[in-house]
Amino acid sequence: MPTTTSKRGRALSGVARLVLRPEYSSLLILVVMIAVAALLQHNFFSGPSLLLTIDAFGPLILLTMGQAVVMVAGLLDLSCGTALSLYTCILTFVMRTNQPASGVLAILITFAAAVIVGIVNGFAAGYLRVSPVVVTFATSFLWLGIALFLRPTPGGQSVEWFNAFYNFQNVAGMPAAIRGIGSFLPPVLILILLGCLFWYLLSRGPTGRYLYAVGGNEESAYRSGISTARVQISAYVINSVFVFLAALFFVGQNQSGDARFGDPFTLRTIAAAVVGGIALTGGRGSIYFAIAGALIIELVNKIIFFANIPYAYGTLVAGAIVIIAIGGSQLYSGYSRRAMTRGRTP
Amino acid sequence: MGLFSLDRGGWAFKVYDRNKKLLAAVAAIALIFVVGQFVVSSFLSLSQVLITLKLASFIALFSLCQMIVMASGGAGLDLSVGYAATITAIFTASVMNGQNSNLWLAVLIALGIGLAVGFCNGFLSAYLKLPPLVVTLAMSQILQGIINVYTAGALITGKPSPVLQILAAKSTGIFPNIVFLLVGVAVVVMVLLYRTRWGATLFGVGENETAAFLSGINTRRVRTIAFMLSGTIASLIGLLLIGNMGVAFKDMGSDYVLPSIAAAVVGGVSLQGGDGNYVGVILGAVLLQALLNLLVALGWGDAGKWVGFGVVLYALLAAYVSNRRGR
Repeated sequence: MPTTTSKRGRALSGVARLVLRPEYSSLLILVVMIAVAALLQHNFFSGPSLLLTIDAFGPLILLTMGQAVVMVAGLLDLSCGTALSLYTCILTFVMRTNQPASGVLAILITFAAAVIVGIVNGFAAGYLRVSPVVVTFATSFLWLGIALFLRPTPGGQSVEWFNAFYNFQNVAGMPAAIRGIGSFLPPVLILILLGCLFWYLLSRGPTGRYLYAVGGNEESAYRSGISTARVQISAYVINSVFVFLAALFFVGQNQSGDARFGDPFTLRTIAAAVVGGIALTGGRGSIYFAIAGALIIELVNKIIFFANIPYAYGTLVAGAIVIIAIGGSQLYSGYSRRAMTRGRTP
Repeated sequence: MGLFSLDRGGWAFKVYDRNKKLLAAVAAIALIFVVGQFVVSSFLSLSQVLITLKLASFIALFSLCQMIVMASGGAGLDLSVGYAATITAIFTASVMNGQNSNLWLAVLIALGIGLAVGFCNGFLSAYLKLPPLVVTLAMSQILQGIINVYTAGALITGKPSPVLQILAAKSTGIFPNIVFLLVGVAVVVMVLLYRTRWGATLFGVGENETAAFLSGINTRRVRTIAFMLSGTIASLIGLLLIGNMGVAFKDMGSDYVLPSIAAAVVGGVSLQGGDGNYVGVILGAVLLQALLNLLVALGWGDAGKWVGFGVVLYALLAAYVSNRRGR
């Protein structure tokens, strides 16, 4: 590229720096996909339609953020889908419809379970140094088994106020002011913002930087005095918190638990995180851009639906778009990295 | 971990270390059967052992795909093997139509599908440097999509050729034929990987890509070939699957994918690349299948089965796949 080499050594402007960020390509794809979706579905930007879209997209966003944290630390979680099912089963196992206080107890117990899930995954991957792919494959059966033990068939009880995690309108005693908030800020968006705040606070502290350090180069992170195993465990625990938030939404929505519904999410979260620019090799990518990845993956399905593509072609097109998306972002990030490090050896 | 073994005496230690893992796997399999015999009567019967071997053979064959791809390094994995097998079974069913005369055509179709799928996987992962996990996942979605489109317009008809049925479903005396096939495949694989230049190249690329590249090896091509081999083997297994089942159906191969990876890892293949012993992988597959059979025989229901499977797999991985280096 002659034009780029001629600028060798010159500092990049702020705009160029932004545009050349590797994650930028996923934003471009996202904008294009939103445009296509809006063209196909004429009321895409209307309030009620947007609220429905957010409710449908929210869970994958939360799960993908969790998966992104794990991937940034150089790990992977194949058990987040069954863990999600497990949390819905624990919540509905503990709750009693006629005892509103049981909801609080259920949340506390499930949160504790989520932390344990994270520790069990992280212990084997961190301290025992077993490949995270197989560890979490093994634990996914464990969570599935426990979930089936608690709830062999879908069902269970839920307190009435749990609806607040899905829709404020459905809760009888909810003040009108909060209902008003719910009409433009649905609960799932609040959960996502909570997740973002949680990650923001973490990323300001040492934990966030350690995650990137361990994911980028575990050996040198270890040699520079970081307890890599502990960081890897905390990555899985943080992931568990995001999965836990998604479980709250699902129980609010369905008022029941199901041991088998979560599994299909697992591989989609990985695809979404990769599309969002998170490197599977670890150490690179932004958790917030993972949201863009999740939106892209969900928009694919929406576009396939509204473009009247026959149902049979759905999976075919979805798979092709994933390859195009990650291929595009890979080529783009290769280009931008060359442009950023112009004149230097990589 | 090349350095690791050199520290402990190099080659001799490596041989001992490998055999130690194989012995541990054999001991674990024996333990499962003995425990099974105490808890469930007639678990240690010959027929039970043979059924376990037969079911494990299919996992072990799929694990061969994983082993080759994993050995080539670059975080290689092939999640598309299940649907590559399924699509081959579906497309060849009507071609064979229960006759031996068209078997050659079915094999050609299988080779074509396998090579094409493997080439796409390999090209995207090796040349475009996309993560194999996501590439092969998307590929399996694409294959599933093609199957959906095909089955939306036409019924899946046809039967496997009798030769395939004999090979995959029938037994010679008491031994299932698929076990003989697996032994043959194992011999070929061991020779190919450990006694040929190409095998050394494959492991070399997996062990240290930079070193292999600097010694003049086209590492991308080696990795692409590894994926093409994986796809081809998966497609050929598709022929065996339809031979075993007698019919082709939409999801016949998907249940083997993740167990095939687990069996390879339990069998000592490193996901980092550059390592792998197919005998260990076969033992890993037998171990997983025996464990699953035991948990089914115990009659704890689905919940107990999956909790048991998860706990034992976790413990197994912790016990002898783990690589503790003072952390």
